[in-house]
Amino acid sequence: MNDWRYNSAHDLGLQTHQRHCSPSRESDLTTSVLRLGWLMAIRTILKCWNRLDIRGLENLPAQPPYVVVANHSSHLDTVVLASALSLRWRDRISPLAAGDYFFATPPRAGFSAMILNALPIWRNRRTGQRHELGDLRERLINERAIYIVFPEGSRSRDGHMHEFKPGFATLIAGTAIPVLPCHLSGSFTAMPPNTFAVRPRKITLQIGLPRTFEAVANGAQGWRQIASVVREEIVALSTRESSTKKFHPRHRYETLLLIARVARLLLRRRLHGLVGFRGAG
Amino acid sequence: MNSTALQHLFGWRTAFDHPVTADAVVCILAALVIAPLVIHTLARFNLISPKLREELWLRWKSWLWLTAAMVGPILLGAGWVMLAVAVLSWFCFQEFARATGLFRELPIIAVVAVGIFALLLANVDHYDRMYFALAALTSGVIAVITLPENRPQGYLQRVGLGSLGFLLFGYSIGYLGLMANDSRYRPLLILVLLSVELNDIFAYCVGKIFGSRKLLSNISPGKTVAGSLGALVLTTGLVMCMGTSVFAGTAMANDFSLLKLGLLISLLGQLGDLILSAIKRDIGVKDLGVCIAGHGGWLDRFDSLVLVPPAVYHFLSYELGPLGLNQPMRILTGG
Repeated sequence: MNDWRYNSAHDLGLQTHQRHCSPSRESDLTTSVLRLGWLMAIRTILKCWNRLDIRGLENLPAQPPYVVVANHSSHLDTVVLASALSLRWRDRISPLAAGDYFFATPPRAGFSAMILNALPIWRNRRTGQRHELGDLRERLINERAIYIVFPEGSRSRDGHMHEFKPGFATLIAGTAIPVLPCHLSGSFTAMPPNTFAVRPRKITLQIGLPRTFEAVANGAQGWRQIASVVREEIVALSTRESSTKKFHPRHRYETLLLIARVARLLLRRRLHGLVGFRGAG
Repeated sequence: MNSTALQHLFGWRTAFDHPVTADAVVCILAALVIAPLVIHTLARFNLISPKLREELWLRWKSWLWLTAAMVGPILLGAGWVMLAVAVLSWFCFQEFARATGLFRELPIIAVVAVGIFALLLANVDHYDRMYFALAALTSGVIAVITLPENRPQGYLQRVGLGSLGFLLFGYSIGYLGLMANDSRYRPLLILVLLSVELNDIFAYCVGKIFGSRKLLSNISPGKTVAGSLGALVLTTGLVMCMGTSVFAGTAMANDFSLLKLGLLISLLGQLGDLILSAIKRDIGVKDLGVCIAGHGGWLDRFDSLVLVPPAVYHFLSYELGPLGLNQPMRILTGG
């Protein structure tokens, strides 16, 4: 017979705002149901309004933990990536978000924590940041979480991908946790920084092959190496995406355009023919 | 739903029809106004430490919104009482679940949420038999719901905690909503809530003044035998005084019945407090939550209320006949 063990919530005893900002925060039924509704609604909206196109879904690992790394140019990026993952893992998906923005006020922190399940990274706090990332690494491993990370540190103001800050590599260096490089395109035009309206522009998400960095040491050099490798893979994805865009006939709108051109050509020929026939008569 | 039922559920114009309701509300408001003056005076003459002063201020601020949250629905109508009771049940259960770790068992939590919602519907519908049946039905579903997971490890623990949580915080507290179906629910609920809350204060004050012998030192080191006996005497006295007006013209309007009611409320109030203390000691936490400043969590404030409502309901039903019989029944489901 086993003794009963109570495993209280890790955030028991924290005030509401403290709990929202804590990396030891745990989900419950209420937040789980809220997230389910939110993700289902967001999926539908992105599909209809932004014609969201997700490629490489077969590359997603079957089980957490893993880390999704992507380029960042819009607030939409987080929801696009979260909506691409299985609803089953909704309480394990945590975007790592800027604490000084997403957790600045209690209402914003409440939304970020309860709906987005975001975890804060305090960009302007020099002291304690290593400890913070250590906590996040521990949570990733122990609670089999899925992190969404944007290593550029902030949204790109010109739509182009910038250099990666190596700090995120602390989470995965020397572990068997897979990293999933992803490339997002279209989100910058759909919702650029400093705007709140979402334009009906097409968004494409390209998911790359997962890879691990088990052999890379958890040190400054290793982090830089990981950041550089992951960035290169995302750049490769973007190149592949633009090349497939040019020549791949599967694209709905290109196909429609092609059909319209062919139809117009045929119609014109037919009309010419008719005119020619009549003219000849 | 006919106009009588609608009036009973949401009719706030009759809020002060019963003299006890009006008098009790005035007394409560007066106490809330006087309390800061007393705290200020005590602090001014250095009769209390700054730390205690700060704590008393916190408690007083919390009591402001707690009073509004408790008295407001009673004055607004029975429907609001039922809703408030369901919300309180859910908050209490959530705290219990977070403290015990049960909150990770989402299927059980979902069943308890549905059970509390069903209790609310049974209360609004005024369908007593449905309410009574929900204890067995919900416990049964809790026992069954995790079977498909094919995970026998911890089965007894999760089912035991789920059933205990539902019975104590959903079903038992939900009886307050069932009592709201009686035509004199306003003075009755004020009597129950006021006596339960004052029972705590009486035990604390008497214990501080006369207490030396501990009641159950391992479960609750702060509680004394003198405090417990003092609360028993004072709360019973309070119930007898208020009860004379609340139950005027009924079979309960005699000293012996009111004495029994007073003893019942005081005894079960203290036992509820001890149950939650035992749970806290077993888990190893001081407070079950932090949402009420100066008090702790919902269960730290409403622990004494856990056992009282079903006992009072059935005692009154035994003495007066089934409560709420003079009101329309099954107003939603018909029949």
